[in-house]
Amino acid sequence: MIARSTVTLQGRQVPFTPGETILDVAKREGVEIPTLCHDPRLDPAGACRTCLVEVSGQRRLMPACATKCGEGDEITAESERVERHRKTLLGLYLTDHPFSRDEAERGPPNELLDMAERYAAPTDWGTLDNKRAARHGDRNPYIDFDPELCISCARCTRYCDEVEGVTAITLAGRGSETTITTVDNLSLMDTTCEMCGGCIDTCPTGAMAEKLPLTHGLKKERELTKVRTTCNFCGVGCQLDLNVDPEGHDGRGRVVKVTSPEPGTTTNDGNLCVKGRFAYEFIHHEDRLTTPLIRGDDGELHQASWEEALRVAAEGLMGVRDRHGADALAFVSSSRCTMEENYLVQKISRAALGTNNVHQCAAT
Amino acid sequence: MTNSIGEIRDADFLFVIGSNTSEAHPIIAMEMKRAVKRGATMVVADPRAIWMSTIAEKHLQLKLGSDVWLLNAMAHVIIEEGLVDQTFIDTHTEGYEAVRDAVAKYTPEEAEKVCGVSAEDIRWTARKYATTEKAGIYYTLGITEHSHGTDNVYALANLVLMTGHLGKPSSGMNPLRGQNNVQGANDAGATPIFLPGYQRVDDPEVHAKYEKSWGVKLDDKPGLNLNEMMKTMGKTIKGVFVMGEDIVLSEPNVSKLEEALNNIEFMVVQEPFLNETTRFADVVFPAAVFAEKEGTFANSERRVQRVRKGVEPPAGARADWEILCDLAKACGADWRFENTAQVYDEMVRDAPKFAGMSHARIDAESHEGKTGLQWPCPTPDHPGTTYLHEGGVLRGKGLFQPVDYRPPMELADEHYELLLSTGRTLYHYNAATQTRRETGLHAKQDRAFVEIHPRDAKMRGIDHGDTVRVSTRRGAIEAHAMVSRQVRKGCLWMPLHFAEARANLLTNDAGDPVTGTAEYKVCAAKVERVGVAKDASTAYPGSDYHVSGPRPGDTDLSTNASA
Repeated sequence: MIARSTVTLQGRQVPFTPGETILDVAKREGVEIPTLCHDPRLDPAGACRTCLVEVSGQRRLMPACATKCGEGDEITAESERVERHRKTLLGLYLTDHPFSRDEAERGPPNELLDMAERYAAPTDWGTLDNKRAARHGDRNPYIDFDPELCISCARCTRYCDEVEGVTAITLAGRGSETTITTVDNLSLMDTTCEMCGGCIDTCPTGAMAEKLPLTHGLKKERELTKVRTTCNFCGVGCQLDLNVDPEGHDGRGRVVKVTSPEPGTTTNDGNLCVKGRFAYEFIHHEDRLTTPLIRGDDGELHQASWEEALRVAAEGLMGVRDRHGADALAFVSSSRCTMEENYLVQKISRAALGTNNVHQCAAT
Repeated sequence: MTNSIGEIRDADFLFVIGSNTSEAHPIIAMEMKRAVKRGATMVVADPRAIWMSTIAEKHLQLKLGSDVWLLNAMAHVIIEEGLVDQTFIDTHTEGYEAVRDAVAKYTPEEAEKVCGVSAEDIRWTARKYATTEKAGIYYTLGITEHSHGTDNVYALANLVLMTGHLGKPSSGMNPLRGQNNVQGANDAGATPIFLPGYQRVDDPEVHAKYEKSWGVKLDDKPGLNLNEMMKTMGKTIKGVFVMGEDIVLSEPNVSKLEEALNNIEFMVVQEPFLNETTRFADVVFPAAVFAEKEGTFANSERRVQRVRKGVEPPAGARADWEILCDLAKACGADWRFENTAQVYDEMVRDAPKFAGMSHARIDAESHEGKTGLQWPCPTPDHPGTTYLHEGGVLRGKGLFQPVDYRPPMELADEHYELLLSTGRTLYHYNAATQTRRETGLHAKQDRAFVEIHPRDAKMRGIDHGDTVRVSTRRGAIEAHAMVSRQVRKGCLWMPLHFAEARANLLTNDAGDPVTGTAEYKVCAAKVERVGVAKDASTAYPGSDYHVSGPRPGDTDLSTNASA
């Protein structure tokens, strides 16, 4: 029998596969280890120090996200020593981070504040000036950076580098002046940025946030209802969450923003592109058609009732069939519409009007 | 796709041909980037320099429409060097000998002359593809939108079959689907040949099954495909129903189509916005968009996922499925669907490939950390199918199809001395009725542009940002010149998204003989300057991925050549 690799986690013997980190194993075993700079899509950075745990044979606490399990390691993720470390660390983070939610929550929930609450971190250690420089006047339409909320975890820059691969943003400066910027402080519009918004998605504190809901003063993410659906652009089939304010638009509901699901739960692994994440304004655009139209004798389209429009449409299609035969009709269905709707179009074409002349842009 | 998107990151060799993946399928591109970062080798074959070619091991910048030469030459090398998987060929395929004989004359040295890709690069790519276990092919419309699109696909399939790169994880043949539900639209039977689930309309058993199921007489001869519909418009076609497609923007050679639409008797259009096509409609129904309705989309990897209603449509607009039910009723049909789950159930009832799926199952289950179900999924306890052709080719034996090179229908000549190709960009989507209404996307890319090589620009006195007129035998449009070495000398490229500069006034409606797909990717064109750039520094709305500096021989060109 092959000996299985095991570690002892919180006094329990648990298996691991060589190469797995302590955090991987703890996640699987349901042992909570807090993280801020960790994102499963990124290489471990070990930068935020919130995931430090005790490991047998190690004098210092070790970062769970970057430490690989070793045979027989005894790992303690909850102890007086670990707890003391977490409190101290989070207390230090809060010295240059606003802790009123009004100020510190720009849309998505602020993970640092949630964590500070959970571990009862001290909030009375005074306030240091935040010395991170902003990039004022960036005219890009989507992504806003607030240095006050940044904790230099570098998730955004690592995402930009490792996942999207465009390396448009970078860490700059040293120590407490470390900030997120671009080459020459250019607007993101003038960099290699492709506006995928992955920096917003991965940011734990909302330092990177979406501009539109902010500028329109819309509700924050906690107050919105998330509706999971499938993106309506290309054929990848990304899952996304419509963040809906049910009271918006006179109770018809308003899509305030789009966010991506947790990494590892869908085909898109928590990623979206510029269209999936940001192209939702068309939903509530003033140009949307709101009434059926019928072309009048004057050659113009005129508003009509649904009954009238349905009658004219049916009579028109059946009239062509009666005069010229069913194969004088052509049905162009849509690869943008649902499967159910495509099923219904081909059924109308075949069963109601009698022609196999039905297709969509699959051939183009 | 025979593989799944999640398998891409584990591939060791990626052959990306005719796919501008980072712009047309950005999330699949992220998976490819991850594979390359892990150490996989990527080869991009594309007439244009694209983002993906900047991280590729090799960029085979082949001439427009020379794909069959390139692919046959790769097959030639694989056979010549004994790199075929003879066991796979013997067990799972038929017709190998015909291909072996057909590609004998396609030597890499001859291919170099036709494709403009060095024989050494062709050999290297062929060897690498054949000898890497996890080797996948990824292609899009750069392969199919040709008058020889079917030949291109067969030539790719021959490579797959002779190397046995099929039926295994990360190893297969993967067309990346262009629209959110182009897979699903075909699955659902919106095609002239197939009822739902790829059951032929002229198969007597299928025909009988559906006549019984629907309780009506059905026609058992295949109908017209889209290309044929457009060509017979106004002649034999007298009435048209269009849902969710701007045919007057997206079909090739649209001026001919517009003329034809003036000669039809009746047209119904179902759309969320007025567009180019509604100009010809007799009745327009206001439709809901995806965020306002329930249903399913099937993605590129055959994964059926749910579309869920987040908000109500604007007062007066209705979901397409509701409109369709009412229209059917007005046409005398007696359908009773209360919701889309019932429509889905009816669809899968008669389609064995999908019979195990339902809205309830898709809502409740996830497999391997992914939502949705991948067909084939024949029974309610079937987990779905991650990759196709496992343990043997689905049709029994994979059929080799020898193909010979046919040039594009239109080549450059003394009147139209350049070749024009068209495509998509990252920031817009197809007819762009949605994306051009987005402030941010508009800010990023607000106007039509045409890419032109510095030498071609210089010869015509065109500077970066100038307004130019691009014309073909079918029409002319104006756009901003983007002087760039992304395109080959002698070639132009432009996006299709812009209604004020419709690239499809220019494109050729010559179709592939099998699929009817039009040759959007190659036609003869000319270009001339009509206006001067106001500010060349900001006149550039595209993305320039060509990073290298001037090349030998470019030095005699003036500064306007630098993009």
